[in-house]
Amino acid sequence: MRRAALAGLLLLTCAALACAAREPGPAADAIAADEPAQPVAGLPASDPPALLSPSPVPSVPPSAIPSWERPPPPIETGPIVDAERLHVATLENGLRVIVLADHRLPQVELGLAVRRGAASEPVAQAGLAGFLADLMERGAGDRDALALAETVDGLGASFGVAAGWDSIEVGVSGLSRDLVPLFGVLADLVRRPRLDPAEAEKVRAETLAALERAKDRPQTLASWHFSRAVYDGHRYGLPSEGTPETVAGLDAAVARAFHERMFVPGNAILYASGDLAAADLQALAREAFGSWPAAPVPEPGPPPPAQAPAARRIVVVDRPDLGQAQIVVGHEGIERTYEERVAVSLLNNVLGGGGFSSRLMQVIREREGLAYGVGSSFRLSRAAGPFLVSTATRVAEARRALDLLLAELAGIRERPPTADELAHAQTYAAGRFALGLETSRAMLGSLVDLDAYGLPLDGLDTYRARVAAVTPADVAREALARIHPERAAIVVVGPASELEPALADLGPVEVVKP
Amino acid sequence: MRDPARRLLLVLLLVCLAAPAARAELEDPALGTHVEVLDNGLTILALRDPTTPVVSFQVWVKAGSRDETRFTGIAHLFEHMMFKGSKNLGPEEHARYVEERGGNINAWTSNDETVYFENVTPDALPLVIDLEAERFANLVVTQEMLDAEREVVLEERRMRTEDSPQGRAFEALLATAFIAHPYRWPVIGWRSDVEQVTVEACQEFFDTYYAPNNLIVSVAGDFELEPTLAHVRRTFGAMAPAATIPRNPTVEPEQRGERRALVHFDVRAPVLAATWQAPPSGHPDGPALDVASGILSDGRSSRLYRRLVYQEQVALSTSTAWWELKDAGLFYAFASVRPGGSAAAVEAMVFEEVERLAREPVRAEELEKAQRKLEVHLVSGLETVHELGSRIANDWAYFGRIRPLAERLAAIEAVTADDVQRVARTYLVPARRSVVHVVPTPSPEGEAVPVEEAGS
Repeated sequence: MRRAALAGLLLLTCAALACAAREPGPAADAIAADEPAQPVAGLPASDPPALLSPSPVPSVPPSAIPSWERPPPPIETGPIVDAERLHVATLENGLRVIVLADHRLPQVELGLAVRRGAASEPVAQAGLAGFLADLMERGAGDRDALALAETVDGLGASFGVAAGWDSIEVGVSGLSRDLVPLFGVLADLVRRPRLDPAEAEKVRAETLAALERAKDRPQTLASWHFSRAVYDGHRYGLPSEGTPETVAGLDAAVARAFHERMFVPGNAILYASGDLAAADLQALAREAFGSWPAAPVPEPGPPPPAQAPAARRIVVVDRPDLGQAQIVVGHEGIERTYEERVAVSLLNNVLGGGGFSSRLMQVIREREGLAYGVGSSFRLSRAAGPFLVSTATRVAEARRALDLLLAELAGIRERPPTADELAHAQTYAAGRFALGLETSRAMLGSLVDLDAYGLPLDGLDTYRARVAAVTPADVAREALARIHPERAAIVVVGPASELEPALADLGPVEVVKP
Repeated sequence: MRDPARRLLLVLLLVCLAAPAARAELEDPALGTHVEVLDNGLTILALRDPTTPVVSFQVWVKAGSRDETRFTGIAHLFEHMMFKGSKNLGPEEHARYVEERGGNINAWTSNDETVYFENVTPDALPLVIDLEAERFANLVVTQEMLDAEREVVLEERRMRTEDSPQGRAFEALLATAFIAHPYRWPVIGWRSDVEQVTVEACQEFFDTYYAPNNLIVSVAGDFELEPTLAHVRRTFGAMAPAATIPRNPTVEPEQRGERRALVHFDVRAPVLAATWQAPPSGHPDGPALDVASGILSDGRSSRLYRRLVYQEQVALSTSTAWWELKDAGLFYAFASVRPGGSAAAVEAMVFEEVERLAREPVRAEELEKAQRKLEVHLVSGLETVHELGSRIANDWAYFGRIRPLAERLAAIEAVTADDVQRVARTYLVPARRSVVHVVPTPSPEGEAVPVEEAGS
């Protein structure tokens, strides 16, 4: 079955556009500077209020003016979250509970996220959050690793624990008839993980092997070396998964200590979406988590330098076998909570985050035929993550593509987005935002993300109005403040024998092994 | 409780009891699809689901890489050309107009079909219909645009295939498993062919396959039925049909013995890829093959994950699936070998587990677990209007009808342990097998490089 199952194996080749623009992003966790946590999908179920379901515009009669010559309608700015379906509460011990009901399909999605992740690890223990996450999957409560897997698979369900820069997240999903056993699994994973020493040995060996395998992906190599070039010495300078040296020092005891610090109720958000009643979920939450003792919320790790790197750095990662050079250019970006983040996100849309019409796509792909994809993004985290531009082109054209990227970065400062470009970016952002909330899972993910960063939960309802309010002066100001090609880090993965001479006149080139 | 359809029904009953405000039952929304065939042969499938203010408009062209004759990759390259302008619109203007309204626009090409889609808010649907009708009726392919887009596709090929161990494995696997049928070449095409595709060949492909009697228009989501149907009739209805839609005549001959290929690459984690000749899409043995695949690789308690990833720690990931194509099917197994490990050792374990399916009946709990997983996958595949629109169009393209959800659930539920053993004995046998290893390139002073490389 599953024709889709093979999509990952390159059976289907996307034409272009959106997916192309995203593909080359070297950092898997890079997201556009956009309000929703993930580019997403989903929506309400029964009886959506009128504003959620605008009447379709009747099909226009034939006329002399082609429909594409009519301007897009003004941005809808009304609320988007159906208040009837959303329930938010905080237990006495500080645990936040967010529930979004959606009865369209008999399924549920449950999870618990803590508001700290890899960014809160000591540099010498880089990879600890991910190590803990993997180890938590290997047994909880009365069940060892295999029994846990049997239980969840037996319900046709799935589960996982994942670490990000600012979160560790436990997720369980399955059919709504199994809500109670699924919730029991969630509670066990969060409060009673086994963190078994023998399993820790297996996880460490697997993590080391996965780190080695990751070098087979040029995009991953580019991302790792870009992070180091920008944030050398800070936690952001190492892969979120850690390095062989740091992972070698991790064991069950270290993981347990980290778990005890991070998994405290005041640092956590319990969430649920799908075919469930908020009252039932609240009752389950009290039963399983009401007795969870309050404890101090751990401090986040120290922020990176305000300017990173201080001066241009050029790195070539030598992969002689590659036919395509992977290029990443960038420097520090903005925090998740930066006040002008919507203006920055629209600026990014015009530059290289706005699908097919962005300046970078038009120049690199459409005009020059240099790449399948090119894109720019700001990784939004508690402490400013990177801003980066990435693409991939045949090795012989790497220098020309790089020059064009740098020229567009300078260009957005010198020729800031015009009123037309901004208007396009605004209607694009507002429309994509609404489409991205088609599934409740996606909407809930965005709400949890807002809460995790201490942003108001009406952020989704106000987002489109905030998009509409951005002016050309706002984006011009942000372009000057946020884009600095002269001191950007430049990382290129490919055959060093060709790449090093091609880049030599830009500055000293550091050639490294994968 | 062994009956998934009944289980689902029970789920629905529980839903009703627990949440009276909820939708009373899980109706299969696709059962309400309006189907209409225009005089020129164009099929319209329209499925209203106004619960979300989103509509998915898709045009399915029943032409893919299997229909290529002279230049491999032309179906996919041509798909790119559909974004490069038409009589009344310049290059990329179509995409620009859709994105300007916040729409999601893209396309994909597979072995059997090419699909163009827009997911938009309802106000943009009339625009989308006009834009799609414009390029389907009035496409213009120029030498200049073709030459530029060819470079883009070659970059796509480098990214997906030439610089990727999995891409290399997959390409070599198809080239090994098929010796005659067009499924043997990659959808993206061989490099030399993409480099030489001509404007004339593109025009011919368009004239031959982009005819209304080879198209399915699928609309799903929040829209008004009558005005939308009228709009599609007025626009797509004006296109002239083709007299015939030619197909490649080649049928893949029976495989009578294992085939192997080796690919050398700068790879740290070797790749094992194997496939067995299996029946095509819609075959009654399909559900049993799906269940067999689930038992092997779906979830952490599945046989391959448990043994290779968890216990023996020789692989980092494993996957299997019955891949159903129009003219043929494959049952495949992939494994990512731990760096420094042996693809041969991983292969031996994968084959042992596959052979075990043929040797001994699966346990009842294992069978039921795999069935339940399939059931959950089916239900969760109904979440978005894009998925709904794809489901009805796919069913129409492959079967000429929309398969009810209940029918598919019942087919999964009907699979017995005997069925799993029977399909394993029938299909998952060495004589129908093809095997590819992607392994590190030997050092120059090492032994001679084996000559079997089948990829590129």
